Amino acid sequence: MSVKMLLKYSAEALDKPILAEVIRQTSAGINILHAELNATKGEMLIGVEGSPEEIERLIDLFKGRGVDARRLERTVELDEGSCMDCGACLSLCPTGALHITEDYSVKLNENKCIMCEVCVPACPVKAIKVFKPF
Amino acid sequence: METAKTYEEINQKIRDGDVVVLTAEEVAGFVREKGVEKAVKEVDVVTTGTFGAMCSSGAWLNFGHADPPIKMQRVWLNDVEAYAGVAAVDAYIGATQLSESEGMEYGGGHVIEDLVRGKEIELRATAYGTDCCPSREIRTTITIDDINQAVLLNPRNAYQRYMAATNSRDETIYTYMGTLLPNYGNVTFSGAGILSPLHRDPNYETIGVGTRIFLGGAQGYVIWEGTQHNPGKAMGTIMVIGNLKEMDPRYLRGCTIHKYGTSLYVGLGIPIPLINERVAQTVARDEDQIKTNLLDYGVPRRDRPVIREVTYAELRSGKIEVGNKEVPVSPLSSFKMAREIAEKVKKWIERGEFFLSSPMELLPRDTIFKPMRQVAEAPLVRDVMTEPAITAGPEDTISHAARLFAEREFNHLPIVDEGGKLLGIVTSWDVAVALGTGKKKLSEIMTRRVITASEDEPVDAAARKLEQHNVSGLPVVNAGGLVRGVITSEDISKLIGRRVK
Ligand code: SF4
Ligand code: SF4
Repeated sequence: MSVKMLLKYSAEALDKPILAEVIRQTSAGINILHAELNATKGEMLIGVEGSPEEIERLIDLFKGRGVDARRLERTVELDEGSCMDCGACLSLCPTGALHITEDYSVKLNENKCIMCEVCVPACPVKAIKVFKPF
Repeated sequence: METAKTYEEINQKIRDGDVVVLTAEEVAGFVREKGVEKAVKEVDVVTTGTFGAMCSSGAWLNFGHADPPIKMQRVWLNDVEAYAGVAAVDAYIGATQLSESEGMEYGGGHVIEDLVRGKEIELRATAYGTDCCPSREIRTTITIDDINQAVLLNPRNAYQRYMAATNSRDETIYTYMGTLLPNYGNVTFSGAGILSPLHRDPNYETIGVGTRIFLGGAQGYVIWEGTQHNPGKAMGTIMVIGNLKEMDPRYLRGCTIHKYGTSLYVGLGIPIPLINERVAQTVARDEDQIKTNLLDYGVPRRDRPVIREVTYAELRSGKIEVGNKEVPVSPLSSFKMAREIAEKVKKWIERGEFFLSSPMELLPRDTIFKPMRQVAEAPLVRDVMTEPAITAGPEDTISHAARLFAEREFNHLPIVDEGGKLLGIVTSWDVAVALGTGKKKLSEIMTRRVITASEDEPVDAAARKLEQHNVSGLPVVNAGGLVRGVITSEDISKLIGRRVK
């Protein structure tokens, strides 16, 4: 399965190579989607690919190192009742999360979304919502 | 050309329930397999459809009289102004008019959608008051059922085809063709291609005044050529009318084109009777035969540079080549909805719910689209810039710049290399801030990511850059990156001063 996780670094954890350590100890695939790190705060959005057990273990690995790891339930939503399948969003989406199917319907693949929010204002009817956790 | 069948014959078939209708997509396949002659014999009607943002749309509304009566001078619907320069309680709400409180988030297009959805709309009007209509102000709420007429009347809809757009600038721009990413990062296009109603009858043999059509989910009519109708360039348009009260919000959607404005997505479909072989021929043309130009919207002029020619088939594929890179493409109009409309018209005809109307008069085929007559040419950057620019090198000292600013009384110093190419810019403010910090060379304080203007750019475009980037001057560079001058907000204010005089 594929999920998104928000990592909150405590001030003490900021200068440690935690991510590298955790990656070495897990078989789950980790992809950094967005990071905001500075002197006082550290937040990182990651995509994780792995079995449910592996994902649970990953959360513990982070927590044991002073990083609060939380699974995000809601990340992005396409309101299909409102979407007109116009396609205006397609060429703006950097990952192909928004894509067009054979019958010209526009669909969203949540797993591919990196929550960049470019599509949000560009949609003429505001059919896309991104639930940014920070 | 010999007429194969008349409108009356087709309508008789509809009554008898044995009319043969194909959509434009289906007929292309039919002709490919069986040929044009067979198509004219066996197929009676071809249906088309399009669903896209059509800014030139709006609705006439009649509110009925208040007591005491009011001769409405200005009218607002949900805070969006409607045109009221006609009789007392008539007004025209246009799709692109913006809300006075919400700006681009809500506009005339949204009002029209909300009316069709049966929502309550706040009506506000002001007047100067007359002996017969003394009331000076009114505030009430209405729904579409409360008002007398609600008529969608769109002066220019269903463009036969449209230009595709991309952007050469190194910044994202927001246009009526949508968001265009920097450095040719994406391409957008509009129009239904193979389903495009007017492109299925490009010789205008069947579409004219009185042609019955699908409009916003109801049956409406073509009433005239659309404004800017330009059939010679395959850019024909139509003016259409229909009863808003019968329409379906699925086919009329208010929308916001990000940082451009509001508009209305309109669903429109036209049945094309196969009256002769030529019509059958054009109605069946494939998408790879529909060409358009890809234009650079990074150049804010009427005549935008053509990057290359493209076909709708290429655009539809989702990726095209620009330069030597593959660029993602966004349609702005929904092909899925266009298909749905063509299918719907087909069903209506097959079920005997829609009859074809023979146009009273065909649309003109020789109109041209003239540019605006402007009594004064729009001034260009070269007309107002300060030239030659005073420049300095990156190794020059900050105190050298301070001296220059003081002696020559100016504020923007482009920094150039030995060949005169722009490297950065230093303002008198930068110098003032740097004095006493121990910094020495201009290279230490110059801004390297410089917003520039070009000599043949309109002054209005340069003024917009100053405003958007919150700067007070732009170096003017030519295509080779050489600095030709500087344009400042002061130069522009002087020009405006001259214009006012
Ligand atoms: S936020 Fe929108 S544009 Fe960005 S990746 Fe997700 S779906 Fe694509
Ligand atoms: S831009 Fe909005 S309405 Fe158009 S396809 Fe994308 S999500 Fe749907």
